[in-house]
Amino acid sequence: MASAVAHEFQFESAPHQASTAIAGMWLFLATEVLFFGGLFLCWIYARHANQAGFDAGARETALGIGTLNTVLLISSSAVYTAGVTFIRTGNVRRLIHCCLVTLLLGAGFIALKFGVEWREDFTQHLFPAAANFKITAPGLGGARLFYVFYFASTALHGLHMVIGLALLGWIMLRARRGDFSPQYHTPVHVVGLYWSFVDMVWLILYPLIYLVGRG
Amino acid sequence: MGVLRTWLLLLALGAIEVAASYLPIARGWRPIVMLPAVVMVYVVAAGFMELKKGAAINRTFAVAAVFWLLVLLVLGSADPLTRTDYLVPGVSRTN
Repeated sequence: MASAVAHEFQFESAPHQASTAIAGMWLFLATEVLFFGGLFLCWIYARHANQAGFDAGARETALGIGTLNTVLLISSSAVYTAGVTFIRTGNVRRLIHCCLVTLLLGAGFIALKFGVEWREDFTQHLFPAAANFKITAPGLGGARLFYVFYFASTALHGLHMVIGLALLGWIMLRARRGDFSPQYHTPVHVVGLYWSFVDMVWLILYPLIYLVGRG
Repeated sequence: MGVLRTWLLLLALGAIEVAASYLPIARGWRPIVMLPAVVMVYVVAAGFMELKKGAAINRTFAVAAVFWLLVLLVLGSADPLTRTDYLVPGVSRTN
């Protein structure tokens, strides 16, 4: 939809179509909250039954990389939100710049998480199915469970990140094509909601993985 | 709340969270380290996702998501968190 005023037949106006698309994304995000909620419930259940093992596992995590990744994601959400503000005033060039910076920050997160941190975890025998798993002291059996949670949750979050990066690329291409204007930029807003949600999920995963068991 | 102020607030809350994780808190109570993260989630929703500015239906979906998440977490963890484990005499717990 390139026109500023065009809308599909089932909507009474373009603003009605825009508000419906945004509400649709909020509804989708509500289902995603429950998707990740199951994961959080697993953490509560497994940690309660294996506190010493979970804490031993958390102490082996790379806090520096996790913290840096948190800063990268918070910054990426901030930059993209600035991009949404720019397109509201018709500044397409600034929107493209913001998308590019957001993409780079997101790609940096993926590179650190899977290229550096996961590789280090495998090198240090922290994969829970490894025969020579690092944490073997008596009473610390829950450490394997902790790393099941760690790998499953970061993989699921990473998958959402990759989808988000693809969406950012799509927004950039459409912006370059001149599809967006102050009157029509609903996809920019909707993708921003998704990207901020991915940020939110990480804000919860970060303390669950790196902080709660560290003290 | 401007983008820059939201970003700075999130960084400050993140720093508080990391500092709190080093406090000598009893193991069972350590999940309270999560409190700044919960505030950060609200700040992202209010600042970056413009939850307050949008239509009421958006806030309804957001509140419903939090409500059903709480139902899931509270009902799902009520039993394991309140159950008393009795060890079998002569058998030591290995994990």
